[in-house]
Amino acid sequence: MKRLRLVGIIALNFIREQRWPILVLQLSVLGLTALGLLSDARSDRDDILITFKQLGMYGVAFSIFFGGSAIYNERRSRRILAVMSKAITRRDYLTGLLLGVGLAAGMFCFLLGFTGTWALCPLGFSFFYLWYLMLCVLSACILSAAVALFFSTHLNPWMSAMFTGLTLGIPGVLAFQFGGSWQYILPLYSLMRVFLKASYEHPGMSAGWAIQAAWIEAALLWWAAGWVFVRIDVAVAVD
Amino acid sequence: MPAVLEFQDIIKDYRAIFRRRTVRALDHFTLQVEEGEIFGFLGPNGAGKTTAIHLAMGFVQPTRGRGLMFGKRFGHAATRRKVGFLAENVALYHRPAEKLVRFYGALNGLSGEKLSSRTKAALAVVNLTHESTRNVSKFSRGMLQRIGLAQAIVHDPDLLILDEPTSALDPLARYAVREMLLDWRRRGKTIFLSSHLLSEVELVCDRIAVLNQGRLVRLGRPADLLESHATFEVVASGVRPEAFAGAEVQPGGRIRVQVSKQDQRALIEQIWLAGGQIMSVTGHKRSLEDLFLELTGGNVESSTQGTR
Repeated sequence: MKRLRLVGIIALNFIREQRWPILVLQLSVLGLTALGLLSDARSDRDDILITFKQLGMYGVAFSIFFGGSAIYNERRSRRILAVMSKAITRRDYLTGLLLGVGLAAGMFCFLLGFTGTWALCPLGFSFFYLWYLMLCVLSACILSAAVALFFSTHLNPWMSAMFTGLTLGIPGVLAFQFGGSWQYILPLYSLMRVFLKASYEHPGMSAGWAIQAAWIEAALLWWAAGWVFVRIDVAVAVD
Repeated sequence: MPAVLEFQDIIKDYRAIFRRRTVRALDHFTLQVEEGEIFGFLGPNGAGKTTAIHLAMGFVQPTRGRGLMFGKRFGHAATRRKVGFLAENVALYHRPAEKLVRFYGALNGLSGEKLSSRTKAALAVVNLTHESTRNVSKFSRGMLQRIGLAQAIVHDPDLLILDEPTSALDPLARYAVREMLLDWRRRGKTIFLSSHLLSEVELVCDRIAVLNQGRLVRLGRPADLLESHATFEVVASGVRPEAFAGAEVQPGGRIRVQVSKQDQRALIEQIWLAGGQIMSVTGHKRSLEDLFLELTGGNVESSTQGTR
């Protein structure tokens, strides 16, 4: 219970420290939805769906950004020293950061789903499928953040983003080319394909096992990130 | 007394990825800090002091050797609940002082009423109660150091590890911190203090260690270390100066010779045998600064024999 509390404190602290980018992301959802509603929604309903999909992609991009820079920023600013001097294990600290990114992604997906219900459902988009798509986006965000966090334990944000892109992109290309079991290995492509192919007429594509695979693989990456993180020197400067 | 902090033959090398050059920050470093003492940790910049502290806190891993804190390996998270740490050039989150101290207190397992009362007490100790609602981003460097100290003591730790805690403080605040450290010792707490302020270390520390180029070069009680390095000035008359090495001729035909404590008796006997008269013998206790400069300024002979 104490450990859970510590993880929660770290997660909330992450949200607090990243409040401005999170707020910008949330406001972009609200702003673009408002713009969509102000336009002639009936004739531009495809435009609204495209904007909705575009925002979903932003969510994934921000998750990579959050995950990739979380540890680096703390180390560079040396704030990590005061935190890690307390009774918290490195793995719990990492769990807190991932939970923080997950909460930020969760808030984003909830707001996107909420505004999507408001903007898309009156135009004929399935309410249940819309929230199913949100689950796909959330799973993609968590998976992307876990990959980025894994690399950020030992790389700077740029390198971390590059390796995250490669790690998520290569299985995507293989899944696109060969399909089969490739679509369950770091299944960002599978999840986002479902999201991006959704339409008013044919909303019913299923992500199949990709959602479950994403969560399981995110957990494995969290474990691997912890394994690396407990072995590295977190104090930046050589004396 | 049981050891609170133990470094056992630790080597710490830093090596950057893609670079062959290795920097040895600590070289066979062995040290024990005992319960209830204020331990001064001295050394020039780059001597390895901060690395040793970071090892103790579990921020970095030793290349070889091992260390124990309260009998547990360095880096054991639950043990850190008994430890308060203030880093050199402390970096903290930007939020109101009281909320900040609460945050760090909560990370050490405090909650509810205990967290509130300990937060207020810690702010009072560092004299920041009146600034508790002000954001620390607007604090001066000295105030930041004080709030850093507050986060280190909020959970009433048994061991305080302080890396340059008074470097940015004015004399008044420095005095207050010194009094706090002495009070802490009276309550049976242990303090591991790294500082460049030698006069301060001399005033409060029970034992000191001097580190140079990653090696422990001196360890002991300040009084013992300074006494062993004490010199005596002997002024005599009626003797030829050339008979005494290093003799300085003074007006009136007197000579002045400086000798160590061990050589004092032999010199006086030599003057008497030569038919001279002793005019005065004056003892010069060396300052910690003299000792520090001697140990770290030139070719320092490593002597870890006194290591406990």
